Amino acid sequence: MNPEVRDISEYGVAVKAEDILFSYPTNSGEDVVAVDHASFSIKKGEYVAILGRNGSGKSTLAKMIDLLEFPDKGKLSVFELDASSEDHFWSIRSHCGMVFQNPDNQIVGTTVEEDVAFGPENLSVPLPELEQRVEKALGYVGLLEMADRQPSSLSGGQKQKLAIAGVLAMQPQLLILDESTSMLDPKARDEFLQLVGRMRHDKGITVIHITHDMHEAFLADRVLVMEHGKLRLNGTPAEVFSQVEVIRELGLELPKWAELLYEVAGIYGIETKESDFVSEEIAKAKIREILMTPVPEGVKRQVRPCHAVSEQVMLRVSDLSYSYEKKGKKTISDISFDVKKGEIVAVIGHSGSGKTTLISQLNGILRPLEGSVEVWDEEEKKYISTDKNADIRRIRKHVGLLFQYPEYQLFEETVAKDIKFGPKKMGYDDKECDRLMREALPLVGLSEDVLDRSPFELSGGQKRRVAFAGILAMAPDVLILDEPAAGLDPAGQKEIFGYIETLRDQGKSIVLVSHDMDEAARIADRILVLKKGQQVFFGTPEKLFSSEHEYLSMRLDCPCLIKTMLDLAKDRPGLDPLIFDVKEAAQVLVFGNEEQAVPTEDAGSASSASGSEEVEKS
Amino acid sequence: MMKDVSIGRYVQGNSVLHRLDPRVKVFLFILYMVTIFLADNPVSMLATLAVVLFLAVLSKIPVIEVLRSVKPIVFIMVFIFLINIFTIRSGETIWTWWVFTMTLGGLRKAILLALRLLLLILATSLLLSLTTTPLKLSDALESLGSPLKVLRVPVNEMAMTISIALRFIPTLVEETDKIMKAQSSRGAEYDTGNIFQRAKGYVAVLVPLFVSAFKRAEELAVAMDARCYQGGVGKTKLHPLRMKGFDWMWMAILTVMAFLPLVVDFLWNLK
Repeated sequence: MNPEVRDISEYGVAVKAEDILFSYPTNSGEDVVAVDHASFSIKKGEYVAILGRNGSGKSTLAKMIDLLEFPDKGKLSVFELDASSEDHFWSIRSHCGMVFQNPDNQIVGTTVEEDVAFGPENLSVPLPELEQRVEKALGYVGLLEMADRQPSSLSGGQKQKLAIAGVLAMQPQLLILDESTSMLDPKARDEFLQLVGRMRHDKGITVIHITHDMHEAFLADRVLVMEHGKLRLNGTPAEVFSQVEVIRELGLELPKWAELLYEVAGIYGIETKESDFVSEEIAKAKIREILMTPVPEGVKRQVRPCHAVSEQVMLRVSDLSYSYEKKGKKTISDISFDVKKGEIVAVIGHSGSGKTTLISQLNGILRPLEGSVEVWDEEEKKYISTDKNADIRRIRKHVGLLFQYPEYQLFEETVAKDIKFGPKKMGYDDKECDRLMREALPLVGLSEDVLDRSPFELSGGQKRRVAFAGILAMAPDVLILDEPAAGLDPAGQKEIFGYIETLRDQGKSIVLVSHDMDEAARIADRILVLKKGQQVFFGTPEKLFSSEHEYLSMRLDCPCLIKTMLDLAKDRPGLDPLIFDVKEAAQVLVFGNEEQAVPTEDAGSASSASGSEEVEKS
Repeated sequence: MMKDVSIGRYVQGNSVLHRLDPRVKVFLFILYMVTIFLADNPVSMLATLAVVLFLAVLSKIPVIEVLRSVKPIVFIMVFIFLINIFTIRSGETIWTWWVFTMTLGGLRKAILLALRLLLLILATSLLLSLTTTPLKLSDALESLGSPLKVLRVPVNEMAMTISIALRFIPTLVEETDKIMKAQSSRGAEYDTGNIFQRAKGYVAVLVPLFVSAFKRAEELAVAMDARCYQGGVGKTKLHPLRMKGFDWMWMAILTVMAFLPLVVDFLWNLK
């Protein structure tokens, strides 16, 4: 019963959907419409990005193309073959490859080469050819020397490359990436995208890429935007992203350079056009053009509120070192930093730089081997140390730690019970637990309606908030957050960072681990950079990014906004381009750097920037 | 840290026993079980011991690893030895104290039984667990079990299930570690309190672990579908098991060795 696979080399249209509808039943008895009368077509060799909030039907749409789901209504054809016909089932599926979000949940083989072989084995590819395909695919993605390794010994980026190799060995015509880059760090993400680009170039593969990353969307030939199952926008990236207000309303965001253009134009009251959003270069030219003209009368510089950081040190880490084996190599060594009340310290570094080990020390999950971690106890007015003799419960009352993808820690029958789990363990009585729970809810934008529901029936974003609330209900003074926004859609990420800022304003001290350089630089008061377990920098974002030589030597990427700003500052001597907030950056471009507290009266003289230091670099 | 967990106690190597076709090893394993059970007197038992020691030399496994595989059964061995030595009364009495009586027959039987258990474990370890990866073993069982397909036993699917289980053990171990850390950040305790409190502590780990395992299973099933999985039908194999001259030769040699104790025993009795 070998699948009969048709030759599809003659087709010109990869996917054509006419009015397709897909719905699924839920526990409540009502059908949920996941894809609502969508029509579109994708040409052979095209690179199409699909955007939209979580749950907008993107994945369902992609699955229908690979015949993993079938439309209830409408007509879908893939490679000009009717998808509803059983005769074409294997022809279509064997020519589509899919790479999913979670690297771990798509690897079947016990060794790397066996995993790559899985697809062609299923297609009954005979032996000498099977071996050649596996070798070629592994060579193509650069994993050949790991052929005998266990998949669990690979890094996240390598696992996704392995998934690509597994698809490649099936010689697909269409590659569907279902948020494949969302769990990768920036470096692995770049490598992955380069690989996909190479495949398009070498093999002419059609690519459908579901993503939350707007920079990735800009790589595409065309962008589809979905909302509640409906296809809302369909056009080139410039066509789509020039509709800024619509994009924001759909829960998406713009690349930083596009946002900057929009903000600058907004100050001048100028309408932006589609042609302004074609590329970053064009947008920058447009910004320069706008800045040449005088600022309209009556437009005043807006001053961003700044927050106060108290001098009280809440968490103090001194000369901290740790290794998992007694005499083994140190995973982290000689880390020293402190976090003040109402301050956000961002911890950045590549995967494997020791971030997780470091944060596990901060609330006593791991105890320091050398050096110390001390937490301020406000009631007793003294520091308590996390050394071997410490009362660990007392430390955890002060320091709350939220690990990556915390929705995996939910386990109780109701949301209320789950949130109260922490405070209960801390020894608070029922009444107190209830109060703490109700105080935590609004901090993460949850209403009391969810309390009686099972945490498992909530959406991904809501689960994340419940887990966050579970830590907040323990009323810690110091919060350690490991990638709190990872995997959420742009609007969800923005909300989470909003909560973090509010918490900081309420006087919480926050240690934030983040891959998102733009967000980290914007939100953090100080940044700690780890490289291979060593602390290579601790200071303000301005200081970190003031020397290109320095951050490049740490193998860090510059925030996208700063890249654009540095370029724009080239022909504007005296302008300090190190501004991490887009709105503020637009103000600075128009009005120049100003002392934050003093609103400028003289709006017209943009070039006479006062209070800025000499930062011009060539 | 917990990443290099292995199932069984496979010791990497390139010896004859490592390279031998796993199906041959399964066959020899059964054969040696029979030989060991047939050895019922000191002469044949010594001959069997010699054969098993030969296997150990052939496997090139460090002595310490071999001893480690025997360690868990030392207690049972001692127990069997003591039970037999004091309950079987036959032949000359060599020692008595209070209610305990040791006879020559009892001593003989006790040594024999303890030795038999030891040899059983050694043969299993050397032929299978120490020299064969779980995956190869599952391959061998799939191949040997293929006649059962006639009886509609889903042999390929069973092998696939085993291999996926093996693949996911390290992933789930890592996940357990992560969940335990996350819950202890929320104040969960696993090693304090009475047995109920401890069990309660583990609920906070097990529930998320199960939920995530089911989610993984679901996603994996979709991923397998996307890669055109359709059961064992028509599936080819990257590394099919193939008997080569080497395998046939060692199969013959080791089969002859399995009969050696019987021959020695027979010749001894002739005298």
